[in-house]
Amino acid sequence: MTGIEIAFFVLAVASVASALGVILFRNAVNSALSLILTLLFLALFYLQLGAIFIAIVQILIYAGAIMVLFLFVVTMFASEASDTELQDRIPWQRWVAGILGLVLVGALSYLLFTGTAIDSSAIATGGSLSHVVNTQGNIEAFGLALFHGFAFPFEVTSLLIVVALLGALVLGRKA
Amino acid sequence: MPLSAYLIVSAILFTVGVTGVLIRRNPLIIFMSIELMLNAVNLSFVAISSKLDSADGQMFVFLVLTVAAAEVVVGLAIIVSIFRTRRDIDVDDTNLLRG
Repeated sequence: MTGIEIAFFVLAVASVASALGVILFRNAVNSALSLILTLLFLALFYLQLGAIFIAIVQILIYAGAIMVLFLFVVTMFASEASDTELQDRIPWQRWVAGILGLVLVGALSYLLFTGTAIDSSAIATGGSLSHVVNTQGNIEAFGLALFHGFAFPFEVTSLLIVVALLGALVLGRKA
Repeated sequence: MPLSAYLIVSAILFTVGVTGVLIRRNPLIIFMSIELMLNAVNLSFVAISSKLDSADGQMFVFLVLTVAAAEVVVGLAIIVSIFRTRRDIDVDDTNLLRG
């Protein structure tokens, strides 16, 4: 077993375990901290795959900004939100949900193992990434792709952020 | 590592997110499970991008990240305003769009 494989299996087990922690912890604060751990493990996955910029953005924006927002809201309503699990109105819901989850993961694994393999010669639209990364650097490759092929979605994103800002203002003001 | 290994991890994380949405009654934890699903898909985007040697997958991850941030802001604002108007937080009780 090479070092990359060992790192992969350790990361896989750790990320799935912390993801299970998100949905199994009673206390919402514990769930939020577990989600932060999952996001950090995913950032390590991105580093392993060579996506350095995405890994850093994941840590800064997801594990930093978004989860701080989550923790603010969780602690604001800590007394109501966390102490007791609300009683289930539909008692068989958990079992059905568990069985459906197993069916979903089974179906996805079946598709992944039997589906058509991705043909790496079939695409390669905008030149090879590794060549640009080797000659110019990771951030440069990302910026070139962002402002050449994805300039319009990038601009639309700014509109989306303005709309989200206004929506949060309207919803958050005192009624 | 082969691509399918990353995709399997992504599928497992996505399923954990789906199951969390189904079994939990706390809206905040349901929201975190949705974030988990978004991140699972991001992992498969990055894995396929690295496998195909193309930057497109990483662009999509970047856009998904911004959409997720906007979604969290609006969603948490909605949850806070629901908390403010009514004290109980069971998602089964909050089934009307008006007060």
